[in-house]
Amino acid sequence: MNIRRMTELALLSSVALIIFVIELRIPNPFPIPGVKLGLANIVTVYAVFRYRPSETAMIMTVRLLLGAMFSGNPSALLYSAAGAIACLCGMLLLRRILPEKQIWLCSVIGAMLHNIGQITAAIIIMRSFRVIAYLPILLVTGSLAGAFTGLCTQLLLNRIKR
Amino acid sequence: MKNRKILIAVAIIILVSACLSVLILRRSDKQKVEIVQDGTVLYSFDLKSTEDRDIRISAPDGGYNLVQIHNGTICISEADCPDQTCVNMGVLKSDYLPIVCLPHKLIVRFAEDES
Repeated sequence: MNIRRMTELALLSSVALIIFVIELRIPNPFPIPGVKLGLANIVTVYAVFRYRPSETAMIMTVRLLLGAMFSGNPSALLYSAAGAIACLCGMLLLRRILPEKQIWLCSVIGAMLHNIGQITAAIIIMRSFRVIAYLPILLVTGSLAGAFTGLCTQLLLNRIKR
Repeated sequence: MKNRKILIAVAIIILVSACLSVLILRRSDKQKVEIVQDGTVLYSFDLKSTEDRDIRISAPDGGYNLVQIHNGTICISEADCPDQTCVNMGVLKSDYLPIVCLPHKLIVRFAEDES
């Protein structure tokens, strides 16, 4: 990896982190665990479409670890990591199928996979299968959030030429 | 063509989850409540016959949650976790949707009928 590439990745990671930290300050209108707008994922979706899978994974890892530290909530790391891994795997596969015009769809499915990963982690950690009742609600809110971040990425990709 | 199939599948999933969400968010008429931490039931009682009180539950990591029973309703009134989602969730209403505190692995829920 050359220095230029490395700088770009570092820059993207820090942009994602800044968005993440600012979003923490916005009060959540839906007091349901796991419901979030996830604006930082604009960067993730962008990276999925413009960078190599390994590089995207690097950005994601840095954001997760530092994000858990900055938010002062390290126990949330397990849930977000499970979601992020599911989401990343799904989106990297979808990228091969979907054209760049359908990023929003990729992002919606990614968000849903993120929620499924989160709930799976919650079921395992809390040892209670009944947490799965959250899944339908998370899927609905998650797909809305995913569509929004997807559209943002679409705008971004149109503006930033390769 | 492939894309259209994916699109339809996603739309169906969203519709089904929206219907399920409505079902899940319905109010419960059950009275038995239990407080569960890390898979073990700590407390279990009847909401109607329990008088108002606060229960302090400490988490393994040193944190705590304050569960408040008031006028036949139950909620988490205080917690020292950073996200405060369990406090913001308010009073326990739905059968299927428990109040959860993810950082402290705590669940407040309606108990299944044993009969």
